[in-house]
Amino acid sequence: MGEDVIKEFLEWEVKARELRRRMADWEFINKQPPRIREALKYYIEKGDLYVASRIAGLSIEEFNELRIKARIPNVA
Amino acid sequence: MLRREFAIADTCFLIDWSRYRRRDILFRLFRTVFVPENVLNEVKSENVITWISEGLRSDKLALYTPVSDEVEEARELIEESRLHPQLPSMDLPEALCLVIGRRRGYIVLTENRAALLAPKLLSKYRDVEVWRALEVLLNAIRYNIIEPDCSNPRKVFDEYCHDTLHIFPSKTLNEAIREVEELCRRT
Repeated sequence: MGEDVIKEFLEWEVKARELRRRMADWEFINKQPPRIREALKYYIEKGDLYVASRIAGLSIEEFNELRIKARIPNVA
Repeated sequence: MLRREFAIADTCFLIDWSRYRRRDILFRLFRTVFVPENVLNEVKSENVITWISEGLRSDKLALYTPVSDEVEEARELIEESRLHPQLPSMDLPEALCLVIGRRRGYIVLTENRAALLAPKLLSKYRDVEVWRALEVLLNAIRYNIIEPDCSNPRKVFDEYCHDTLHIFPSKTLNEAIREVEELCRRT
């Protein structure tokens, strides 16, 4: 069962990452200061709000608002 | 059906959920939702601070202080999850929620993918029930806390996605919509 679960997860993860990349407002992201920009890019790749907020040096709520401004969906 | 008693929400879930127009349904679905102490450091807006403090004041939310033994088990769980490098990383907040869910039988509320997978992959956590926002919404419909719009069974889910810029996986979303359609047929 474990292998099937992992396979299904990995397939979904590829789709989720693609959705985040495609929907993101890259113009907005690229205008941000380096720390924020890298945190948004991390979120696009990994979908992990907690770690992304730590990279940005923001609270989770502040980073979540930034995610929405950058039009990056929470895919879960 | 009886409503569930206790849940533990990780901070990321709660903050995302707090943008939802019907966020108070969480308090009707559970007797108490426990939240990690650090949740108060992670909110800044007046709207969300007010919602959380009202929840604490009315005993619908309660702070959960983990004991050292729970933190130790969470550390072990993080190490175990890291043995599967192809899987998403698990960090202390969601690992603690899983440990507390296992030990105390609370439903775990999280959007963290590693936490969602843990019960399927790690036998020690197989009995832990993990809900995303999708499962919360579906259960709110099942328990008649939300009345679905039977002319548009996906409306409840669409509203959540609109408010939080969230996308549910199509397979589970379609299953949920089918269940709502079935409930509508029966009523």
